[in-house]
Amino acid sequence: MKAPRFLAVTRRIFLDLKNDKRTLALIFIAPIFAMFVFGLAFSGEVKDVRVEVVNLDKGAPGPVPGTTVSIPEKVLSNIDDETLDLHDEADLDAAIQRVKDGDAYAAIEFPEGLTAGVMAQMQGQPGAGQAEVKLYLDQSNVNVANAVVQELNQALLETSKEAGIEPPVTVDSIAIYGKGAKFIDFFVPGIMSFVVFMLTTLLTLMSFVGERTSGTLVRMLATPLRERDIVMGYAVTFSIIGIVQSSILLAIGILVFDIIIVGNVLLALLVIALLAVVSQALGILLSSMARRESQVIQFFPFIILPVFLLAGIFWPLEAIPSWLRPFSYLVPPTYSVQACRAVMLKGWGISQIWVDIVALLAFAAVFLSLATASLKVRKG
Amino acid sequence: MGDGDRYSIETRGLTKRYGKFTAVDGFDLRVEPGEVYGLLGPNGAGKTTTIKMLCGLLRMTNGEARLLGESVPDKKISSRLGYMPQETALYEGLTAHQNIAFYGRVFGLTRTQINDRERQLLEFVDLTRWRDELVQNLSGGMKHRVSLACALIHQPPLLFLDEPTVGVDPELRASFWEYFDELKAGGVTILITTHYMDEASHCDRVGFMRSGRLIAEGTPQEILREAGASSLEDAFLALSREADRR
Repeated sequence: MKAPRFLAVTRRIFLDLKNDKRTLALIFIAPIFAMFVFGLAFSGEVKDVRVEVVNLDKGAPGPVPGTTVSIPEKVLSNIDDETLDLHDEADLDAAIQRVKDGDAYAAIEFPEGLTAGVMAQMQGQPGAGQAEVKLYLDQSNVNVANAVVQELNQALLETSKEAGIEPPVTVDSIAIYGKGAKFIDFFVPGIMSFVVFMLTTLLTLMSFVGERTSGTLVRMLATPLRERDIVMGYAVTFSIIGIVQSSILLAIGILVFDIIIVGNVLLALLVIALLAVVSQALGILLSSMARRESQVIQFFPFIILPVFLLAGIFWPLEAIPSWLRPFSYLVPPTYSVQACRAVMLKGWGISQIWVDIVALLAFAAVFLSLATASLKVRKG
Repeated sequence: MGDGDRYSIETRGLTKRYGKFTAVDGFDLRVEPGEVYGLLGPNGAGKTTTIKMLCGLLRMTNGEARLLGESVPDKKISSRLGYMPQETALYEGLTAHQNIAFYGRVFGLTRTQINDRERQLLEFVDLTRWRDELVQNLSGGMKHRVSLACALIHQPPLLFLDEPTVGVDPELRASFWEYFDELKAGGVTILITTHYMDEASHCDRVGFMRSGRLIAEGTPQEILREAGASSLEDAFLALSREADRR
């Protein structure tokens, strides 16, 4: 049996890549680079936030005679010192000034008589008001401000518990999926789609503009190769490359970042291969709009930005304004991100992610037909 | 159209219009098997458009065409056509061998067929030494020769050469015509376009094309006699002026 003709195209592209060390590096090193850059820098955790602590409280005699209890000290000991970088400051005005000068993000004020007030309240003494800790906060950096507030509240809650004060109602969260998941676990399925989508689209775009401008496309069309054979040859090549790229990302995710994978990795790779087919068809389609290879650069923002913003790679779709969300469903990586996350973090199978697969298949069908048609249009 | 197999190329009323512009205007062409037919004319005369229509790369607006007895456009015939485009149209990042072998596979040849045929072709175009060199490192003339080899890998009985000698130095042009004569000796029918009038003398017959029409046709000697000119160049100019007057 003779090999299908489109495999000649596949083989040709691979040979081209083999000879072109620079592009080869782009294909295999770029995913690794992206993974480390985003995985390390974009871990989503705020760390080392400088906070001034002004403790005006003197403590109060404890239940055991001769001991002193200090609530501020207990609270401070419950603060995670990786998140907040605490500095003692005696003078409140100086501490606030430091926030104003941008040297610190917040100043925490424990007022005088805090411990005594709390103890009075606990003993139910009449006239004892609500105890207050004041937080002077630079809210201009929302992420940091939220982290400070959250950390302080957490420390107060823990201190209360240690003192035997249980809040009347508590939330007990039981992980149905993703027990102990970190940001990186959420992120790896996203970056897989992002890298494969971006590189596949750009590489096909570039190499296809080359086919058009150098005359090789016309030459191929004068042979028994049909338009669909050429598109198919490219599709097979780039789905293989997509699978290899994702495997590299997964290997780094597992070995370096110790990510959680509870599902079938092969199913996730299949989804990525499908995304690669969609992306290469898009690249071929876009190539009909470029006249020179240098024009390819003009497409970059239009390819990268919508996907970066809308596909739910860095933040969940729920974080996208609701009026914008319908557009998320128009970018193919949205479905592969969703499906890969479900497979890797929730262990879902094909019976649960079929909607995403159908969506990707639909995109593939439409884009492949359009790409094929775009090659025929030339016949004028 | 009459007895289909008599001609390797036969067109009737072949026409290509782009909007109001007519690139090829009711072109009738007959090329016999084993003939080298030179399509001559200035840039924009419609030579390339004609070849592209015959090779199925452009849709014809009107008219009909048969190649090797088959009505075109028809993808089935493409395995029996050789086409060397105007541009070098090679993968610069591949070696000469990889380029040639790619077309071999595209035409469905086996590995042995490709190897045998490639060896002969590289010898034929004198590139054996450069087989494993990347095309981007080859000179312009060498690229042209690789391009010709790509068009010949499947031993097509009918060959379309679109300005194969443009930008080629005189020495290489001479050797190209040696290749073509050799192919003709092997029974290959060749349609070649050129605007170098001196090359036309190598052809069995030439057709002068101007504004999409054939303004004269015949053996080089017939053309010279008809125009009363001493060179094909003068003949073309005389015939053009005459066409303008009409």
